[in-house]
Amino acid sequence: MPTILAYVAVQNGSPSRGSLEVLSRARQIAENQGAICAACVLTADASSVVGELGRYGAQKVYAVNNPVFRQHINAPVLAALEAMIGHAQPSLVVFPSSEGVKDVLGALAVRTGASVLPDVASFEMKDGAVEALRPVMAAKFMARTRAEGALVLVSVRAGSYEATESPAEATIEEIPFSFDQSALRQTLREIVGSTAGAIDLADAQVVIAAGRGVKDEAGKQLVEELAEVLGAGIGSSRAVVESGMFPATAQIGQTGKVVSPDLYIGVGISGAIQHVAGMSNSRTIVAINTNPDAPIFDVATYGIVGDLYKVLPILIEEIKKKKTVAT
Amino acid sequence: MKFCVCIKQVPDVTAPIQIRDGALSMDAGRVVLNAYDASAVEEALVLTEATDDEVDVVLIGPDRATETIRKALAMGAARGTHLVVPESTELDSAAVSKILADRFEGHSYDVILTGKQAQDTDAGLGGGMLAERLGLPFATNAVGLAIEGNQLIVTRQGDTGQEILAIPTPCLVTCSNDMNNPRIPNLKGVMGAKKKPVDSAPLADIPSAAVRVLGFESLPTRSPGRFIEGETAEQVAELVGLLELS
Ligand SMILES: Cc1cc2nc3c(=O)[nH]c(=O)nc-3n(C[C@H](O)[C@H](O)[C@H](O)COP(=O)(O)OP(=O)(O)OC[C@H]3O[C@@H](n4cnc5c(N)ncnc54)[C@H](O)[C@@H]3O)c2cc1C
Ligand SMILES: Nc1ncnc2c1ncn2[C@@H]1O[C@H](COP(=O)(O)O)[C@@H](O)[C@H]1O
Repeated sequence: MPTILAYVAVQNGSPSRGSLEVLSRARQIAENQGAICAACVLTADASSVVGELGRYGAQKVYAVNNPVFRQHINAPVLAALEAMIGHAQPSLVVFPSSEGVKDVLGALAVRTGASVLPDVASFEMKDGAVEALRPVMAAKFMARTRAEGALVLVSVRAGSYEATESPAEATIEEIPFSFDQSALRQTLREIVGSTAGAIDLADAQVVIAAGRGVKDEAGKQLVEELAEVLGAGIGSSRAVVESGMFPATAQIGQTGKVVSPDLYIGVGISGAIQHVAGMSNSRTIVAINTNPDAPIFDVATYGIVGDLYKVLPILIEEIKKKKTVAT
Repeated sequence: MKFCVCIKQVPDVTAPIQIRDGALSMDAGRVVLNAYDASAVEEALVLTEATDDEVDVVLIGPDRATETIRKALAMGAARGTHLVVPESTELDSAAVSKILADRFEGHSYDVILTGKQAQDTDAGLGGGMLAERLGLPFATNAVGLAIEGNQLIVTRQGDTGQEILAIPTPCLVTCSNDMNNPRIPNLKGVMGAKKKPVDSAPLADIPSAAVRVLGFESLPTRSPGRFIEGETAEQVAELVGLLELS
């Protein structure tokens, strides 16, 4: 039986939301094709995630356990994925489109002789090939693309599919793997500005995104307070990353991250095409901006023309009130 | 260190571009140097400023793309290679990286830079594919570069933080536009660029693309939104009422 493999990224001991989304999609395709749905993980210890992967439909979990995967370094990840593909012989491998995956996808395709469809919004098997819709030109258009070949790699944008449970009895199979440190060829010196512990933007159900309209520390504090009362992740435009007010990990857009939360609130963001490329798939979009002609209002579900310094304090209080009533 | 930057001419994504019969119609469009590649050129120029080293650029594209090579030369690159393909040749990242890998055979660059992605394809594959074909260590999505002895110190934007890596040369790095603000060529640069060498030749073997674009479509439209009117307090109260907060 052919195998469809879903790559699962493990963060802080559990599968990322994007990974469960691609696993759910892989399962649907496997069902249609009469194939086995398998997951693959590279971690220090895979045993803790097997149960959860089974709940989302993985019939098999291929694991490479090695402490080298505590941090992302591309050479061992590539070697492990190559070993994994060699062992599982899948016809299709589906990845969540994270920075870690983007780092290795091109090289992996060359190494395994695969065709590759990166950063797709949807994909399906059609006449023995894989067809996908890919946002192109800063997500201004969709390109319908088709990849042929015995092995196709697909990476999927966050939020393109829903993570749905469909319990299977997952068995774990460990792939033998050793990695010669001297073959690393590059060393990771440190990780700075790590948001460990904070709500990961890509996983957040609510995102507050700040733009150049947030002019000072007082404005930043309002954004942080709003995020706190909503349990939201904090995102930003490029302008305020450039100014140093927000970390680069917060950047949403063509250069930054793709987010698709249930609720996105853009504060003082104009809505440049390169920013909208990273958030237009959010379920509900709220925009707060002084300029009624700001392009962000073209994609907003609800728009408030107003000064964020006046709107946010009231919004924070009103949400607090609503939350206390609800609990 | 000797640098070579792979550059692409792309349509300006902010220009009015429309779909006609499933194809993109660029009538009103402008073409530009891919912004990520411009950042790569800028970084190479900054890193070689203190030395006598020169920066080369290489581009695969139709005749009209010479203009984009001249742009990089006007910024300060020393020489360009133009691998000419017929207008509207379909090349995927795999084909591009194959052509470039052949081209780099027999050259001895210390550092090859590419953009993290082309602004038109948004694929982000070319750099990693080229590194793999050349057997080079590589890093992607770099937001900072420095030279330390015979290695490069790369700051790359990862999922949860910035990863600082040391990579021995020769190597390949793909660049983010968060790395720098590319210089705008001055008049002297533009005039000087006209005299700089561009080695231009038609490409003999054009690899076929394994991934084909069948056509272009508009984005699924969002249901139209609306403004919330009134005084600030009224606007906020209405908004909070509309949001399903858990
Ligand atoms: C290749 C490339 C890639 C890029 N990638 C990204 C990316 O990934 N992400 C990204 O965000 N950008 C990206 N950009 C940059 C993008 O083009 C814009 O420059 C940027 O998004 C603008 O940020 P902004 O909306 O915060 O600032 P501005 O465009 O300056 O907008 C600020 C807005 O705040 C409003 N405002 C001002 N004061 C207030 C107030 N008191 N209350 C409420 N509103 C107020 C103004 O009306 C204005 O609309 C990219 C650009 C290029 C060329
Ligand atoms: N036609 C081309 N000529 C030269 N370099 C290219 C070309 N196409 C892509 N590249 C390089 O490959 C990078 C990634 O492209 P892509 O995989 O299409 O996102 C670009 O930023 C360029 O540096």
